Amino acid sequence: MRLLRYTLFRFAQAIPVLLGITVILFLFINMTPGDPIRIMTAGQEVSESHLAYLEARYGLDRPIHVRYWDYLSGFFTGDLGRSIHYNRPVSEVMMARIGPTLLLVLSAFLFAVVTAIPLGILAAKRRNQPSDHISRIVALFGVSTPSFWIGIMLIIIFAVQLGWFPSAGLVMPWDAPSDAGLSGYFWHMVDVLHHLFLPMIALGTLQMATIMRVERTQMIDSLQGEYVKLARAYGVSERTILRKHAFQVAQLPVITLVGLGLSTALGGAVLTETVFNINGMGRLLIDSIQQKDYQVVMSVATILAVIFVIGVIITDIAYAYVDPRVTYGEGE
Amino acid sequence: MRDKPLLRVENLKTQFVTENGTVRAVDGISFEVYEGEIVGIVGESGAGKSVASMSLLRLVDNPGEIVAGEITYKGRTIFAAEETEDGDRRLQDGVLSAETVRQEIRGNEIAVIFQDPMESLNPVFTIGGQLREFIELNRDLTGDEARKEAIDMLREVGIPDAEARYDEYPHQFSGGMRQRVLIAMALACQPSLIIADEPTTALDVTVEGQILDLVDELQRKYGTSFIWVTHDMGVVAEICDRVNVMYLGEIVEQAPVDELFYETGHPYTKALLDSMPRPDRTVTDLDPIRGVMPEAIDPPPGCRFHPRCPDAREVCRQVHPEPAEIDRVDGFSHRSACFKRDVFDVGYDESPPLDNLARGESERGQEASEVASGGGASE
Ligand SMILES: Nc1ncnc2c1ncn2[C@@H]1O[C@H](COP(=O)(O)OP(=O)(O)O)[C@@H](O)[C@H]1O
Ligand code: SF4
Ligand SMILES: [Mg+2]
Repeated sequence: MRLLRYTLFRFAQAIPVLLGITVILFLFINMTPGDPIRIMTAGQEVSESHLAYLEARYGLDRPIHVRYWDYLSGFFTGDLGRSIHYNRPVSEVMMARIGPTLLLVLSAFLFAVVTAIPLGILAAKRRNQPSDHISRIVALFGVSTPSFWIGIMLIIIFAVQLGWFPSAGLVMPWDAPSDAGLSGYFWHMVDVLHHLFLPMIALGTLQMATIMRVERTQMIDSLQGEYVKLARAYGVSERTILRKHAFQVAQLPVITLVGLGLSTALGGAVLTETVFNINGMGRLLIDSIQQKDYQVVMSVATILAVIFVIGVIITDIAYAYVDPRVTYGEGE
Repeated sequence: MRDKPLLRVENLKTQFVTENGTVRAVDGISFEVYEGEIVGIVGESGAGKSVASMSLLRLVDNPGEIVAGEITYKGRTIFAAEETEDGDRRLQDGVLSAETVRQEIRGNEIAVIFQDPMESLNPVFTIGGQLREFIELNRDLTGDEARKEAIDMLREVGIPDAEARYDEYPHQFSGGMRQRVLIAMALACQPSLIIADEPTTALDVTVEGQILDLVDELQRKYGTSFIWVTHDMGVVAEICDRVNVMYLGEIVEQAPVDELFYETGHPYTKALLDSMPRPDRTVTDLDPIRGVMPEAIDPPPGCRFHPRCPDAREVCRQVHPEPAEIDRVDGFSHRSACFKRDVFDVGYDESPPLDNLARGESERGQEASEVASGGGASE
């Protein structure tokens, strides 16, 4: 019950933050030099009156605060405006692109968490033994190598040289041919994973390395806690101590880290999508910035901000759920 | 002599091999615990009390190791080994396996209570959950039975509204209440021996008094034996039946509590007693022990206390005193490891006195050294 109240409270708190973000984004985008209508019509003979018509059509002739208000109210009613470049509603343009990004980011995260936590625990358990040293070197490499570089290397080795994986594009799980039977669906999923593998590793390595390092440190710390000593003194087995007593306490900082990792992952997704030629939100953002496609840039950036803020909130709630010491910020 | 002891420790040695050298944290101690008694281990911080306690459960932190000695409990050998010629250890036959010690000794035979009630409980599990886990592990109780036992025990140690508090987390309890929870934990496992390692050091004096009274009462009721570790002679006076005084890894004096206070055998014990705050003395009467205890890596030669001992003589620097019986009271030995007693025939009386810290000859040394006293020893 308290947790539910806390959840609502945290979401309510997020509203002003998101509003602030949209204002800043809006001002930024509208203050950058370059006129979208001129870019759109570059190289064509266009009359002044037609330019004025285009400005009016895309709403660029009205004062900035009116345009902001339009944008904001549109956002809540699902009308994100029209893309100048694609000449289609922004919502349509984005819907086509959000799938690949979510698939990429979530699978990279899953990969990171699923590998990093056991490896971190193992490293803590075998502290200062060879396997610990190896994992630390790998982690150091992981945190200090940019994801796009890892992506390029993966492409060169596993796509170009060995030809094991495709070098570009993603296949969406829900894009299976409609007449596919069970086995057809199976092979479709194999294809999905086949495409996903390299970009997932490229994007997930940084997360994996960061989580693993923190997991290791936290586990080492936790294993030295008095409560672990007490558990040992009462005959609890090392296995249970590792999996339960030390583990639960050690996860608290890891949860925060995973949440914050979402922002770096979203940033990394932009580059990974470029390297692997994936038609996701990241590439849409970059293309739209180049095209001065205000409406799209604004909407994509807002969506990314929303995803990020939601990620942070979920992190906080997860933390509050796991750590009973968290006070619920209600001034009790 | 009395009946067979519950626990017998003989010549126990526990060492830590570190970069700076071998820390001889526990260096050949021997003592017994009989059924139903509270045996104190008292000494300054760093004397080796905690390492000794944990050694009894064969739980020594890395890089530590029990290198020699024998620990027998109810006729079973928890540990027995000898130092070989080349400094290694050789386990003897019939010693319980590590797994047996974990399953059959820890918790259900020998339970512990630690110093810091804030850190000893796991912050992410409920009080009840933790109690129940240990009960289920160490007794033939499961599920609801274990839960009921846990709640009964919480009530027994004086936690009001035990049923409701069962589901609360450690941070919702005060320090004193947490220490009660730890006591409940130990008793709930129905061990024959409880090792309490400075369980009241982190508490304020009022709460300490309450906890001591509680333990006194419960000890009478359940007949459990205790090893009570403390640096405070006041606590010893209040709760212990017999006392072992530890200095730098060794037991320098061992006696029933009244005997220790009134027929003090060892200058270190005397120094501890003189530094103890008492109602009949003002603070200015307190006589803190001069200097700090040296490192256990490189203990002083001869008597380890000689650099700080007011009675030190030349012979104390050259010969190492082993504890020897100086008296017997109610069938118990009074042992002391000090040459002042006649049982040691090493020529103490003829030996010239030593200049050292305790004589106050060195003003500089006096200032530089930290003042350690029974009540204020940094712990
Ligand atoms: N893990 C360890 N590594 C190295 N030395 C240790 C370790 N634990 C304890 N010691 C040393 O053992 C000695 C005794 O420590 P301890 O038993 O904790 O003292 P006490 O409980 O009497 O205050 C000290 O000199 C301490 O530095
Ligand atoms: S043996 Fe000597 S130095 Fe040691 S306590 Fe006795 S008198 Fe002091
Ligand atoms: Mg200690």
